[in-house]
Amino acid sequence: MRAKRENLFDRLEPLLADVEHPARYLDHEWGACEEQDGPFHLCMVYADVYEVGQPNLGVAILYDRINAQPDMSCERCYLPWKDLSAKMREAGVPLLSLEGAAPLASFDAIGFTLAHELIATNVLETLDLAGIAISSDERDEDDPIILAGGPSAWNCEPLAPVFDAVLLGDGEESIVEVCACIRDARSEGLSRADILRRLAGVPGTYVPSLYDVVVDETSTRWGYAVPRVGEEVPEVVLKRAIGDLSKTPAVAQKIVPYMGIVQDRLSLEVLRGCARGCRFCQAGMTYRPVRERPADQIVSCGVEALLASGHNEISLSSLSTTDHSQCEKMLSGFNEELAEKGIRVSIPSQRLDSFGVDMAAAVAGGRRGGLTFAPEAGTQRLRDVINKNVSEEDIERAARNAYEAGWRRMKLYFMMGLPTETDEDVIGIARLAERVLEIGREVVGKGRKSGVSVSISVAVLVPKAHTPFQWAPQLDPDEVKRRQQLLLHEVRDRAIRISYHDADVSLVEGALSKMGRGGFELIRAAWEKGCRFDAWTSEFRFDLWCEAARECGVDLVATACEEYPLSARLPWDHTSPGVSKGYLQREWLRAVEGVTTPDCTRSSCTGCGVCSTLGVHNVIWGVRG
Amino acid sequence: MTQPFSARPQDLPTKAELARLRVEYVKDSRLSYLGHLDLIATIERCVRRSRLPFSIGNGFARRMRLQFSGALPVGASSCCEYFDLRLTEPVDAKVALDALRAATPRALAPTSASYVPGTLPALEAWLNRATWCVDLSGAGISPASVIEGIESLRADGKLTYLRGDKEKTVSLEQCLVDYSVEAKPDGGVAVGLETRSGNGAFLRPGILLSAAVERIGLEAPSVMRTRRTFQLHEEDGRLVEPFGPFAESHQTPVS
Repeated sequence: MRAKRENLFDRLEPLLADVEHPARYLDHEWGACEEQDGPFHLCMVYADVYEVGQPNLGVAILYDRINAQPDMSCERCYLPWKDLSAKMREAGVPLLSLEGAAPLASFDAIGFTLAHELIATNVLETLDLAGIAISSDERDEDDPIILAGGPSAWNCEPLAPVFDAVLLGDGEESIVEVCACIRDARSEGLSRADILRRLAGVPGTYVPSLYDVVVDETSTRWGYAVPRVGEEVPEVVLKRAIGDLSKTPAVAQKIVPYMGIVQDRLSLEVLRGCARGCRFCQAGMTYRPVRERPADQIVSCGVEALLASGHNEISLSSLSTTDHSQCEKMLSGFNEELAEKGIRVSIPSQRLDSFGVDMAAAVAGGRRGGLTFAPEAGTQRLRDVINKNVSEEDIERAARNAYEAGWRRMKLYFMMGLPTETDEDVIGIARLAERVLEIGREVVGKGRKSGVSVSISVAVLVPKAHTPFQWAPQLDPDEVKRRQQLLLHEVRDRAIRISYHDADVSLVEGALSKMGRGGFELIRAAWEKGCRFDAWTSEFRFDLWCEAARECGVDLVATACEEYPLSARLPWDHTSPGVSKGYLQREWLRAVEGVTTPDCTRSSCTGCGVCSTLGVHNVIWGVRG
Repeated sequence: MTQPFSARPQDLPTKAELARLRVEYVKDSRLSYLGHLDLIATIERCVRRSRLPFSIGNGFARRMRLQFSGALPVGASSCCEYFDLRLTEPVDAKVALDALRAATPRALAPTSASYVPGTLPALEAWLNRATWCVDLSGAGISPASVIEGIESLRADGKLTYLRGDKEKTVSLEQCLVDYSVEAKPDGGVAVGLETRSGNGAFLRPGILLSAAVERIGLEAPSVMRTRRTFQLHEEDGRLVEPFGPFAESHQTPVS
């Protein structure tokens, strides 16, 4: 039943005196939208604590967009940390929105951002704390409509029973259409089932309850989804893509938090999409095509937003900022405008070539902290398999340039368990790190005071939906551990530090990435056993996940490490980012052969299918080098 | 808002030469739950938004030259918090106050601003006297029980308590200057406290009053609202208000 919309902060406040970081729950931040008159009310939820969720650009964009509508309001909600959740349950206080301190269950719609797979149990915890039925089919007629979107929506099947509708692709336009659809349908007195049917008619909207899962000889054991008999819904739901980023507001992030958050800076999206074609990268496949924002707009809006927010740092965000064709112009524009104001410009990662180092120097000013590069694989053969398009020479040149420009600490990102990986590739990671260190010592000197060091961070490949590696098995956790040990033994220099991802966490992430709708039972069982905040190393409980898996008859290793036939119908085939399955199959075959594919923003079309399917195209304002 | 970053270090102005604007502000309603470090970051952003010509330190981190009065306990409100902001050029204090007010959330609203001598000691050490109003209620808590508890603690001369896992001791002889207790119409108790801080010693009103009622066998107060109402400087037996008038010489080291 829909809860009454009322401000319940008075009931929450007495609980704040004894919890960790009460600033998480305060609201009234500078830039927050105070007018929440509705009459249509949406609450955007990031199911993790405030400091993790608040920097999310996707939530900021949708919050901004809905609050700009004349008859709609959007509030935020983050999952309280365990101390406050326990006190709220004890005191009978339901989960509240931030702005109006209104019960979540009083909203017309609730939108979850699925930032990664390990947020699954937190979604269930959020709904439970809000007093909303976890499963879509258990909800009452007037309960809020539960929406979802974001990067992990590309295999949302394990959580499909939770959501009434899932928005695929760019949400700027579709969130408004979806909210308007719900509002109108409610005012017409439509039943909940009919509201969902109508939602399925909004382009880019997938309504799980209108699809059945079929398991047959053409599918994996998780089956595939087909429209339920009698329902007029598309067989494949295509994502939404906005054609021109420059037509959208450049700065969405207007809220200035009171407390320190994980990315405590103004973030400005300088481009969307990436066509480099790294075969492991889900974002690279699902955010296509590339749409740049013009440098002039970035600089003028960025400077204005900095003055309005008071931030002392601006991050130029994207999947690959130094690929922006006007990157130099953009950085020199900022340097000119912000000179001597104590404001830093940061870019999330550097390309492995001299251009990347030049850009890093341009944004670092006199500071030389650490510099991060992502070769991803230790040998050229394997870098070709993943289509990284980075050569040994690129890496050496980048390292030399960086050391010569004053950097001393280098961080290198790698992945383990990439398809066709051998021990030689793992040892190659150690050799590459040693080579980078050697270059540093050549340039700077060998003494300990030179401060030259290399850190390598090794993640485990989790094959993701809608990538060329979606058919690949994840590496068995025992084999992951063996290769991690092999790497540790191969690195002999103490100036090289190694960190790697936990094999068990990666296993659960891998299983959730590969499962179909049947995986919901596992998530629910894990949550019931107490799994929360699984992305937090301190909170992850592998024992509980294993227990839940046993009870549900799921073998986590067999699930994550299963190879799917190239011809199989996959659990997520009924949703599409516009990249054709044929393209992904071709890319998989080229990967196995070690053949690379160029970036279509620098060469000709590579035939991924996005532009023709969605009626969009790359938007490049200058010339990419 | 510019700063001569390119100048040689010896050409940069020293801190004492820069205009020192002292600002009084409130810490109220929900923002009383803001921790001190978060408060510092928030005020720094308010100053940036105000577009005042703030000065930036010459160190590696390039921090704004901004100093604060002593931290309030999380959850306590105040009508008398202070920060000192160094400006590269003086701005009329009224204009500066208006600019800051326009750039600051209501619950942290600046209420006064005035220039003070650049050579005064750092605010945190300088403001060493405070008065507090605490409203508390709970089973069995009455003015008489609070007085009995405080007197019992005072007789010990010190208060020992746990902060997290750490045991802390504070001298009540030094830190508790005076107090008053009265009944409130709603059945609760209103306590006025005068405290002194210094040499790292700081008496938290909530800690004192919880310990006082527990000392006489009662449960810790179920409700306690704390408000700092005055901050002053005590020097040679006289009390100086934050905006002066100031003595001509200062015995404590210049910040």
